[in-house]
Amino acid sequence: MAELRTPNRWGMRALYLMLCMGLIFLHLLPLDTLPRGWAGPDVMLALTFAWVLRRPDYVPPLLIAAVFLLADLLFQRPPGLWSALVVIASQTLRTREAGLRDLTFAMEWLNVATTLIALTLGYRLILAVLLVDQAPLGLSLMQFIATLLIYPIVAVVSQVVLRVRKIAPGDVDALGGRP
Amino acid sequence: MAKDRAQSEDFTGPLKRLLLGVVLLCLLGLFLLWRIDSPRVERFRAQVVDHVVPSFDWAMAPVTATVNIMRDFQSYQRIYRQNQELRRELQQMKAWKEAALQLEQENARLLDLNNVQLDPRLTYVTGVVMADSGSPFRQSVLINVGSRDGIMDGWAAMDGLGLVGRISGVGNNTARVVLLTDTSSRVPVTIQPSGQRALLIGDNTAAPFVDFIEAPETIRPGDRVMTSGDGNVFPAGLLVGQVAQDPGGRMRVRLSADYERLEFLRVLRSYSNEKLDQPGRLIAPEALPDSSGHPAPENMIPREAGNG
Repeated sequence: MAELRTPNRWGMRALYLMLCMGLIFLHLLPLDTLPRGWAGPDVMLALTFAWVLRRPDYVPPLLIAAVFLLADLLFQRPPGLWSALVVIASQTLRTREAGLRDLTFAMEWLNVATTLIALTLGYRLILAVLLVDQAPLGLSLMQFIATLLIYPIVAVVSQVVLRVRKIAPGDVDALGGRP
Repeated sequence: MAKDRAQSEDFTGPLKRLLLGVVLLCLLGLFLLWRIDSPRVERFRAQVVDHVVPSFDWAMAPVTATVNIMRDFQSYQRIYRQNQELRRELQQMKAWKEAALQLEQENARLLDLNNVQLDPRLTYVTGVVMADSGSPFRQSVLINVGSRDGIMDGWAAMDGLGLVGRISGVGNNTARVVLLTDTSSRVPVTIQPSGQRALLIGDNTAAPFVDFIEAPETIRPGDRVMTSGDGNVFPAGLLVGQVAQDPGGRMRVRLSADYERLEFLRVLRSYSNEKLDQPGRLIAPEALPDSSGHPAPENMIPREAGNG
């Protein structure tokens, strides 16, 4: 059974890595060289949260840390802080995953929203305490709202297209145990 | 809170938790290190970027080019509309250009009107051209000053620069100016610098010809033509134009006044003129030789009536 499950899990981890690399790639495209007055959603974060709340075994903390650290380095953010906070947030959601499994999507969305708020505020607070220059608060809020709005889309795409589904009671037997 | 629940979950073995702790420690340590010793970490970041981004490069250039091409296609779709807009704007610009040119010319003419040097004995009334003769055979214009403004027959009318014609026919509010190009126009002139006296005769062309010159060989194209004041028809010294030679060898005068665009005319008051009891007196001196005196007034009367 373990042999059956492993390639699938590693394949999905590779898929997550590919998706994140693709998103980083899209961000790095030199299409907008002028400073923009708006901030788009953090799709990587939404993807991570959506996958954590569905199949936590597809997104191990080490993978999240590596991906977001790379993003930190590439996007000229303060290295390490955002990725550490994302890892903590994902772990928080991971612990709630079992409880959220049978609840509605609204509850999941609410959880994601609170986590996002905590993440954004904590990030800005730590940067402010350490006297690091940061982006305007408006842009952070814009990104937070955009991420929150795009989260259902990412979740639906993950569920329908990428087949990252919550574990149903039948799956447990087929897979030979809960992950 | 999270750790308590995490401990209750069966997915977290001690090794995993240790690994997680180490990862978080590394990340936060990296951040603190960056905060303390930024240049070193930035060098590390630069190396990472230097390794990662070129590996994207093979895909980046085509994707960027593709996106730019798609944007270009979108702009191609708009190109027809843009073209139409540009044409419309160009049309408006042409209208503005025309208006600007007209204003420029009018401004120059008004400046001329202000700066022209006149005999101080002369005062003038400026009128606006209301209408022309409306006939190809009569060269005259109607101005909006008349006997109400004290205009009298026989006065000279100029634009800012040169002589235009003479008043012939005054109404209460309007006066008619017979232009120098009219076939009935005869003006005594002096040609400078030779000082030759001559008569400027209109012949319904743009450039009236000069006749009755004593010594035609002394006149060259480009000589200045002024009114002579002979016969007290006009005050002396008003600029008329320049001599030019037509292909037939005839001396003509290129008029200084802008005949294409007569808008403002200045009517010179010249009370030194003779009193005009009859229209014929305008042309014919009072004391004429017996033989030629009488036919001229009789000829002039119907002509003036026709003008009016």
